[in-house]
Amino acid sequence: MVESKEYDVLVIGGGIAGEEAALNLANIGYKVILVEKDLSIGGKMIHLSKVFPTLDCGACITTPKVSETARHPNIEIFTFSEVQDIEKHAENDFSATLIENPRYVTDDCTGCQICEEKCPVVVEDQYQWNLVGRKAVYVPFSIANPRIAVIDIENCSLCGLCEKVCPANAIDFSQVEKKSTIKIRSIIIATGFELFDPLLIPRYGYGKFKNVVTSMQMERQLVPTRPFNNVLRPMDGKMPDNIAYVLCAGSRDETVGNPICSQVCCMYSVKQAQLLMGALPMADVTIYYINIRAFGKGFCEFFQQAKGMGIEFIKGKAGLIKEKENGNLIILYEDIQQGNVKEAEHDLVVLSVGMLPNTDFTEIFKNSRVEQDLYNYVNKVDELCCPAKTNIDGVFVAGTSTGPLDIPDSILSAGAASAEAAGYLNGGVK
Amino acid sequence: MRNRIGVYICYCGSNISDYVDCEKVKDIAAETTDVILSKTTMFACSDSAQNEMIEDIKNQKLDAIVVASCSPKLHLNTFRNVAQRAGLNQYNYVQVNIREQCSWAHSNTPPQATEKAIKLVKAGIARAKQSQELTPMAIPSTNSVLVVGAGVAGMRAAIELAKMGTEVFIIEREYFVGGRAAQWNELFTTNETGREVVSRLYNTIMEANNITLFTGADIDSKTGSVGNFDVKLRIRPRHVKPDCKLDWGKFKKAVEVCPVEFDDPFNFGLTKQKAIYKNFPSEFPEIPTIDVEHCTKCGKCVDICDKIDLDQKEEMLNINVGAVLLTTGSSPYEPKTGEFGYKEIENVVTLQQLKRLIELNEYDLIFKGKKIKNIAYVYCVGSRQVDGENKYCSRYCCTSAIHTAIMVKEKYKTINNFHFTRGIRTYGKQEALYHKASKQGDIFLQSFEDSPTEVYKENGHTVVKIKDILTADKELEVNTDLVVLVTGMIPRKNDSINNILKVPIGRDKFYNEIHPKLRPVETVIDGVLIAGACQAPLNITESVKSSLSAAVKVNSLISKGKIELEPTLAQIDKLLCNWCDKCADVCPYSAIVKEVKNGKMFAVVHEANCKGCGMCLPVCPSNAIQLIGYTDIEIESMIEALID
Ligand SMILES: Cc1cc2nc3c(=O)[nH]c(=O)nc-3n(C[C@H](O)[C@H](O)[C@H](O)COP(=O)(O)OP(=O)(O)OC[C@H]3O[C@@H](n4cnc5c(N)ncnc54)[C@H](O)[C@@H]3O)c2cc1C
Ligand code: SF4
Ligand code: SF4
Repeated sequence: MVESKEYDVLVIGGGIAGEEAALNLANIGYKVILVEKDLSIGGKMIHLSKVFPTLDCGACITTPKVSETARHPNIEIFTFSEVQDIEKHAENDFSATLIENPRYVTDDCTGCQICEEKCPVVVEDQYQWNLVGRKAVYVPFSIANPRIAVIDIENCSLCGLCEKVCPANAIDFSQVEKKSTIKIRSIIIATGFELFDPLLIPRYGYGKFKNVVTSMQMERQLVPTRPFNNVLRPMDGKMPDNIAYVLCAGSRDETVGNPICSQVCCMYSVKQAQLLMGALPMADVTIYYINIRAFGKGFCEFFQQAKGMGIEFIKGKAGLIKEKENGNLIILYEDIQQGNVKEAEHDLVVLSVGMLPNTDFTEIFKNSRVEQDLYNYVNKVDELCCPAKTNIDGVFVAGTSTGPLDIPDSILSAGAASAEAAGYLNGGVK
Repeated sequence: MRNRIGVYICYCGSNISDYVDCEKVKDIAAETTDVILSKTTMFACSDSAQNEMIEDIKNQKLDAIVVASCSPKLHLNTFRNVAQRAGLNQYNYVQVNIREQCSWAHSNTPPQATEKAIKLVKAGIARAKQSQELTPMAIPSTNSVLVVGAGVAGMRAAIELAKMGTEVFIIEREYFVGGRAAQWNELFTTNETGREVVSRLYNTIMEANNITLFTGADIDSKTGSVGNFDVKLRIRPRHVKPDCKLDWGKFKKAVEVCPVEFDDPFNFGLTKQKAIYKNFPSEFPEIPTIDVEHCTKCGKCVDICDKIDLDQKEEMLNINVGAVLLTTGSSPYEPKTGEFGYKEIENVVTLQQLKRLIELNEYDLIFKGKKIKNIAYVYCVGSRQVDGENKYCSRYCCTSAIHTAIMVKEKYKTINNFHFTRGIRTYGKQEALYHKASKQGDIFLQSFEDSPTEVYKENGHTVVKIKDILTADKELEVNTDLVVLVTGMIPRKNDSINNILKVPIGRDKFYNEIHPKLRPVETVIDGVLIAGACQAPLNITESVKSSLSAAVKVNSLISKGKIELEPTLAQIDKLLCNWCDKCADVCPYSAIVKEVKNGKMFAVVHEANCKGCGMCLPVCPSNAIQLIGYTDIEIESMIEALID
């Protein structure tokens, strides 16, 4: 039997919250294992354009955190991996099964992308939110960490071309899933959030009308590494000049089972609208909203700045979206201030989709269960005093696993989780 | 002189390359003497680019590097670290900012942006040539911290720091702990009372043997710097001996005989109090206190209890700490006289007063002898001001007002709540409260900033008027018995701390962090951190998250026994200096002191205090000061390159 590896803390999820928590603990001197399900650490944030309210470029803020995490001598990262069967034996004594999925590409990969050129299979690129295609063998995205290729085995035709051209000899079809046991003393859940799936609101026409996109797709069109190097509408590649934002798409809406406010979509929409004014100076941008939730430090000022730039804010929720033959869209909405139902035509509609809990955490524990709150996020048993404490002592929660949060709040939440974990590891009040 | 320089020009995705011709900048840099290689890169900060630089430094034996990218505020340390990992001294790295200073500032004129970038890069190369190998200073640090403010955030940070093994001194300006939370009844979103929370924290603090709490205490002065602050605390007398084992009956009697009476700040002036007081039974510490400002020292209470000591004196105490954490919280905005009828119309109160009123009234809500039936809540008072200074949203107040309205309805059943809002901001899960209030029949109205809600008297009634956009801009008037001003948060007045610690204050008058995402609880003063509502309006959970974040940062900063500091310091040439006092006068960090040796006076820099800001350099009449890392030679060579 192989001896299981030991760490002080297991951080599950390598988004901004997981990275921050891992770094805080590693900086104190604790040994951290960071397990990330995806191919790269960085979470959702690494895919964002610029971030409110400071409008720093998202990549500029995340990449240093990402590489600091990747380099830290006290942090060991497993990407494309998961943990299962977490068991608590006593205080400061947990075990878990670590599952490393095969990439079919070894660490020798230099990220040169020669294999991508040769691969004959094209599928939708999930890291560009399906706006463009990618190959079956691919480097996830340009600023991925680790920046090595992977074979999407489900779509791979097993033609073996990549293996032939790889100059580093890094393709290895013989890789299999690896399982091992790890021992840890405490755990931080930072598995983040899921995006609301707009297919659940058929009246908005997402999936049917090509020029209805999600905010994440717009986010991708606004990043420096954007697919088209410009903002284009999907149907015909035309530059849009009259863009609408439909806020609260899938939030504050009991009919889709999500009564709460997602807390970030107002502000990211205001942000995207401002960026659009820069990218398409001639375009009109209209935001249909219920309330603008500009509550954080600098947010209100940011919202006022958007108004000053000429972005139009219409108080009213969009009811129905119809498509015209030319691909333009008609939004039916209630203009609350005027007290009537109106129609407006736009050539691109962005659905500001909200956040939903990622409930992976309910399945990874073996002999106990992490409680969920009313909205299926991780339950905080002592929210006022110990905002990272879960129902299991020694297990803490960070970032959007606790509920909808923006980046600054996710970072503070991760700070709290790492502090509470450090206090726990050191044995509590003496 | 360095003569094997590598230059990297970053596209920053397209943030820079959309406006600056990075290829051209790279080519021109390549032609500069002593530049061995010049490259462009998509994201210089990405891991792959960093690795490439490391390879280059090693393979090409570079002795200095220049990265032209974003502001050094963002990535100075990233690239210093690259240099270090490649075996190069980190001070042989120079960052040139061609994003904020070129592509962003001159996005309307790309050719000029490029031209400026070329000049700045040339200057950067010139500086790299002159750059010296420097070693950061390592100074010893004490693993102890001073937490200022024993509200929920401060106490919570203190406890976690103690758990992590850091010794904590926590001071509270008032005589009781708990700050604002102690004044509140049930709190959203857990419905625990503020008092329960405070007593829980207080008891843990008492249990911990590495936390020392002082009430009635302030910072008197501070010297030293990160790792080693010497702080003098002023502890004001409580006038009740510390061994008092509160006898509530005796205490009541003492209160009875006290002849002094004044408005009770704990109840926001709704009631009166005596000079000897304790606001409620389980208020901590469980010892009464005497308000010295109002006490006439008549001695009547002393006759009742011998634990009262009117002769207690102020004490001074010196402590040595590695860091200071400010958790001084916020105050409710105090409306101006006449603002929505405040202090002019008799039944206009603040949300804070209403909260106290609810607690003081068991069965019916009575105010000034009148039973209340209709309450109007006017939102955003002191926040989101159109004309005033407070442009920000106070974040907690929508939820707090709604939560209070729900409590009102649950306690007094028949009361009608009317909410005069500017758009409800119950973000996140707090939305559920908004939902609940709507369901219980509360009426929500909304106006925009161009037509504010009005409060006035008409025919003996207090009327609230709004141009309500929710009913298509109708003008609506509501007769009310009580108008509640939902006041926002402002930072607590803390002039003495501000003068002593010099923490930067933002436009909104709250303390300013270095960067909301990268360093959200640190300030530009090394070793002084901020957390909770002194930084921005925050609710309790959010304040605690930020104070715990600060706790973990403090611990990792000071728990290792030593701290590395920038070697960028002012250096004074003793021979040239004739002590004129000018440099000491301008130094914002009090880092320059006079020394006398063999009758000659000269200035000396206290290394741990000096931030390398360079303020002293230009005022020196004898040019005796050099800034290490920015020596005259370096700066002059940069100027030459710029005007070349
Ligand atoms: C369109 C859009 C725009 C936004 N713009 C802004 C903005 O401008 N400013 C701002 O402040 N905020 C913005 N946000 C919010 C921001 O994205 C979040 O606050 C932030 O990303 C939350 O980080 P996190 O680490 O909690 O979660 P995530 O980023 O979701 O990270 C969670 C990580 O955990 C991994 N994971 C999940 N399950 C498992 C498992 N079982 N095992 C191992 N790993 C797992 C995931 O793969 C992921 O890497 C925006 C959000 C959206 C949707
Ligand atoms: S943040 Fe704005 S858009 Fe998002 S759910 Fe809340 S109110 Fe709706
Ligand atoms: S939280 Fe609500 S009441 Fe408070 S300032 Fe913001 S919008 Fe106004």
